[in-house]
Amino acid sequence: MPITSGQLLLISLGAACFALAGVLALLRALLGRESLRTWGRVVLLAGALLSLAAIVWHAMGRGQWLPMSDNFEALAWLAVLLALFVIYVQRSRPMPMLDGFIVPVVTLLAIAAAMFGRLTPHSYKTVGKDTFLWVHTATAYGGAALFAVAAAGGAMYEYARRALRRKSKAPPPRLASLERLEHLMMNSVTVGFALLTIAAVTGFVRMAEESAGGRMHVKVALATLAWMVYALVMHAPINPRFRGRRAAMLSVFGFVLMIGTLIAVQFMPGGNG
Amino acid sequence: MQRVVLVGLNHTTAPLAIREKLVFPGEARAAALAAFKQAWPGAEAVLVSTCNRVELYVGRGIHDQPRAEQMIEFLATQRGVPAAEVQQHFYRSNDREAVTHLFSVASSLDSMVLGETQILGQVREAYECACACGSAGAMLNPLFQRAIAVGRQVMTHTALNEGRMSVASIAVDYARRIFDHFGDKTVLSIGAGKMAALVLQSFATLSPGKLLICNRDLTKAEALAQKFGGQPAAFDRLTEHLTAADVVISSTGATRPIITAAMYRSIERARRYRPMFLIDIALPRDIEQEVGEIENVYLYNIDDLQEVVATTQSQRQDAADEARRIVHEHVEEFAAWTRARQIGPLIDRLYRRYHHIAQQEVARAEGKLGDLSDAEKAHLHDLARRIVNKLLHDPIQRLRDSDALHAPTNQYLNVLEKLFRLEPEDGETPSAEPTHEQDPTRD
Repeated sequence: MPITSGQLLLISLGAACFALAGVLALLRALLGRESLRTWGRVVLLAGALLSLAAIVWHAMGRGQWLPMSDNFEALAWLAVLLALFVIYVQRSRPMPMLDGFIVPVVTLLAIAAAMFGRLTPHSYKTVGKDTFLWVHTATAYGGAALFAVAAAGGAMYEYARRALRRKSKAPPPRLASLERLEHLMMNSVTVGFALLTIAAVTGFVRMAEESAGGRMHVKVALATLAWMVYALVMHAPINPRFRGRRAAMLSVFGFVLMIGTLIAVQFMPGGNG
Repeated sequence: MQRVVLVGLNHTTAPLAIREKLVFPGEARAAALAAFKQAWPGAEAVLVSTCNRVELYVGRGIHDQPRAEQMIEFLATQRGVPAAEVQQHFYRSNDREAVTHLFSVASSLDSMVLGETQILGQVREAYECACACGSAGAMLNPLFQRAIAVGRQVMTHTALNEGRMSVASIAVDYARRIFDHFGDKTVLSIGAGKMAALVLQSFATLSPGKLLICNRDLTKAEALAQKFGGQPAAFDRLTEHLTAADVVISSTGATRPIITAAMYRSIERARRYRPMFLIDIALPRDIEQEVGEIENVYLYNIDDLQEVVATTQSQRQDAADEARRIVHEHVEEFAAWTRARQIGPLIDRLYRRYHHIAQQEVARAEGKLGDLSDAEKAHLHDLARRIVNKLLHDPIQRLRDSDALHAPTNQYLNVLEKLFRLEPEDGETPSAEPTHEQDPTRD
């Protein structure tokens, strides 16, 4: 079911709030004006609430409360989950610049939800009727959300690491410590990897059931590649050579593959499982 | 006539790689001053050597030696460095310029970190070393005593030292950018000197899980360990301590690197490639530069940290202006005092000599004129006295108005001495002892 104009307006307003929150985070980092912090949080929360309202309205419209029944809901949920994660972390134990790195991703997801939801209504027809497939979708998107956090952590790690090694005359912008960023990255990858594994197993089982074998779909290939990359990142505690910079770069690369998988899900024929 | 000559290099004119070649540790400085005395017995010298600067101040007769280039060559030879290699990094100045520079140095106005207090102690130390070696005399004693007084006044009367970020606090800030918590971390100090104590004081606030003090002299390590609740560590087990360490502060007096890239690579695996923050505040450097290129190693030397500190201090310009005003005032006072000290006896000798000649001529004239009344004799004496005074008035006034710390004045005085044969009389040579009474304008 395509989203209505009202739902589109809500998700668009949500995307605008996310974008504004991103700009405020950037300004706070550049100008060092801590007074922008509160405004940033308020705007981010407003974006999450607007997006949530669009999801609820959409679910009411189709009379189905189980989330992730189409690409609009999946992308909107992903945006909301990431925004809530940022709000939670910044409230419990603030991590400088976390919003500056994650909120742009949130904004893009909200914009994508608005565009794909309106232009290419793309429902996951069997979701809701088939718990097995719902688990596959939920774990895949949950994993993607965590990989987005890991990628943000990785990007922040690499940025902070370079700033420290560059030894500029002025102190570099304050981010969380490398140790904390590494923890964020590894924890996100660990949980995300578990979710992606579940998604992969359920996906393969469904593929086998539907006898879709013979040729591998692009999303399967990309997801498998992403799984292998994250398996390498997970390797870091065993082989410490993978820790630090390598893990950070792999996390970013893995997320790029995950985005490719999501795009394949949205655009490629048969991508909606 | 005496003149002050300065040659030196500092963080603005020479990179760390050059400065570390020319640094004079304690014994080397005393040896250099002894060699200087031997080479130029008539000259005075004070050698200031810190991690940011090497400066040689010389007091000598205006036409005497050593010249600036000889001084540079002397410094280079003392450290076994070809003079040609370092010559372009040196600055040279004389008299007023040299005095202003020294006062600025003692006031930390010339430091990389404005308002740092350590430099004052280092200037005092350099002066005391020169006194002990007998190389500071009538010219440099009052100069350095005044410089120390100026530095003290700037530190206590201006806000230059307030709100300052130190090298130690910047090091702690950077450690926080690498590590999240320190309860499970090991901080290792290699060296147990003053600098190590200063940095450890800041790191102690992070409450590290383990604090190791590694020093060749274990008694020093024990003393410092006791002060900060750490443990002394044997120097011969340095590799083992490095394997355990997360933060390393190195400040030894070693002349060669004690942590090399090869050494670090050998322990990298045992450390499980954990990040390490290395702070090298020694000069010459203790840690090979290549170590900083290894993955997960963050190496900062004294220049890296000081540059960061320097960029954070622009807001203290008002205090710096006030400090400069104090320095300027003291340079003027010192110039006035030097003028009085150098010109006074000369003018006195000049007057005495010409009045004496005039009196001789008056006496001869009295003999030729025959009977003169007392009033006429008094007139004659008065006439001669007034003629001498009038003749000498203008040149002497010009001398009095001149700046004793400018080279031309010294040359005038020298010429005056030579032309009018005004050699110092017995007891006029100023004392070479470092007494406070020598400097009447001293605070």
